[in-house]
Amino acid sequence: MSAVIETDGLGKRYRRQWALSDCTLSIPAGHVVGLVGPNGAGKTTLLNLAVGLLAPDAGTIEVLGGVPGAGRAELSRVGFLAQDSPAYAGLSVADHLELGAHLNRGWDAGLARDRVERLDLDLRQKAGTLSGGQRAQLALTLAIAKRPELLILDEPVASLDPLARREFLQDLMEAAAEQELSVVLSSHLIADLERVCDYLIVLVGSRVRVAGPVEELLAAHHLLSGPRRDPATLPDGLEVISASHTDVQTTLLVRTSGPVLDPAWTVSQVGLEDLVLAYLSQATGRRRRDSHHHLEVQK
Amino acid sequence: MIWLTWRQFRAQAITAAAALAAFAILLAVTGPHLASEYATSKIIGCHGFACSNAADAFFDRLAGLDTFVYLFGIGLILVAPAIIGIFWGAPLISRELETRTFNLAWTQGITRTQWLAIKLALTGLAAMAVTEALSLIYTWWASPISNSTGLSTSGPQLFSQGKFSAVIFASHGIVPLGYAAFAFALGTAAGALIRRTVPAMAVTLAIFAAVQVVMPLAVRAHLVSPSYTTASIEAADQVYASLTADVVPGHPDAWILSSQALNAAGQPVSTIPAACNNANPSGEKGGTSPITPGQCMQSRGYREAISYVPTSRYWPLQSIETGIFLALALALAWFSFWRLGRRRA
Repeated sequence: MSAVIETDGLGKRYRRQWALSDCTLSIPAGHVVGLVGPNGAGKTTLLNLAVGLLAPDAGTIEVLGGVPGAGRAELSRVGFLAQDSPAYAGLSVADHLELGAHLNRGWDAGLARDRVERLDLDLRQKAGTLSGGQRAQLALTLAIAKRPELLILDEPVASLDPLARREFLQDLMEAAAEQELSVVLSSHLIADLERVCDYLIVLVGSRVRVAGPVEELLAAHHLLSGPRRDPATLPDGLEVISASHTDVQTTLLVRTSGPVLDPAWTVSQVGLEDLVLAYLSQATGRRRRDSHHHLEVQK
Repeated sequence: MIWLTWRQFRAQAITAAAALAAFAILLAVTGPHLASEYATSKIIGCHGFACSNAADAFFDRLAGLDTFVYLFGIGLILVAPAIIGIFWGAPLISRELETRTFNLAWTQGITRTQWLAIKLALTGLAAMAVTEALSLIYTWWASPISNSTGLSTSGPQLFSQGKFSAVIFASHGIVPLGYAAFAFALGTAAGALIRRTVPAMAVTLAIFAAVQVVMPLAVRAHLVSPSYTTASIEAADQVYASLTADVVPGHPDAWILSSQALNAAGQPVSTIPAACNNANPSGEKGGTSPITPGQCMQSRGYREAISYVPTSRYWPLQSIETGIFLALALALAWFSFWRLGRRRA
């Protein structure tokens, strides 16, 4: 399976602040990939690097085997939908379609027109007066009608109300399936990702915490609960992602390749949201411990 | 990309075309009156002293509207590049950054360099065309006045500005084209650097205004090599014993860069010699001398050393100044490309 995005030690600095540093990851083709992580994890920076809006300050990034944004060919193969789906406020919906037609060689005018019709967008309406959901749909139309191989979306639904969010994602799924697109979208709304993604990457502090097909991830993680017990006494092959204890009970989220056979544990399925939160809190917990340690040293 | 450039520029282009048309109509309405006054003034084909009288009479007959249009036209041509720099140049890149539409524009199937190249070329050409058109139709309208300026000796101060005076030089010929290109590129570069529209507009205005002041005061005189002559003090110094030259004998419209009165020994002098000090300028009764100070100094061998730019160097000077501003515009455009190419969106 070839990679649509491949980075190695990738870093981007704004003045002295590293927004992304030493990021190494590989995103396989043919998936709808969810990129999830807390604010400041570097998601937007990574996606901007992937479409060539930014150039790396360290490391390398390859998108569809080329340098992102290097020329017309590279730009044509990637569709991008930026955060808050910007559009020219003074230009009408029809103007935006015209814009797409003039700036993209592979522009599919029929597809664009059909989408706009189906979405009930008024061709004469100025983009500045569209609702957030309509603007996102217009921006998605532009990104899809250029017939890219890879579609990158940065927090596409963050500013939409729940209904618009659902319609947008539904529509995105259909388009991706019809055109056999690889899709990478970032979000911090895990419930939305769960609905559309079949591959997940959890990014915290520029590092990939966990990555893999959603089904495999769900199959490999279990929620264990049983009498209170020190996690250190668990057998090999069980990786504890998160642990919580009451006086008498211990609850663990573990990753394992095989089944959990110990009868002392009650094993239950874990949802994607719990899984992601476990990895996120693992990271922040570590960070907290690190800073605590740091304070003690300073004393 | 040409389509998008036009679509985004359409409103400004229509505004500029409307302004140009309004100005042309104003000139077309007032022009015939000016031309007929000029035709009846007998300036054409005049000889010697009659020219001066004819020119004075012509200026006297000009209506208030003519005076207004004369000044308004110069003002408009001088201000047009600044307006273009502020409203066409400064928002070109900064507005895309501010409204975040660069995310859309720079991820279509066209590189950022192509995007900027076409925007700069089309809008820049429009900027130069509009400004130069203003200047050309104004030059046509004002030609009766500019033809008479050098002839009049006692006409209104307003119309006495020769073709080398700071504002007349800057509003005629081909330099307005250079200013327009420069101001537009300056605005674009300021927007690319500052990334916010309003501050970029302010910086554009400040720098352009400063350049327009520095250029005539400190730079223009050094762009062509001056001519030197030593002239009769009587002929060169027409203002009563000021010891500075007002005209270059034999070169009526020349631009005087500096002048210095010299005594018979060739030494510079800055005051009227005592012997000529009480000479009577008009030779009236009661004066102690029958001759003017100028005649007095003339008879004692005083001369006026003058450095000047003759009218034959008007077009070379225009070309050099235009070339400088076009070169600055290209440098600023290059800066904008470089800024965008660094991909720090």
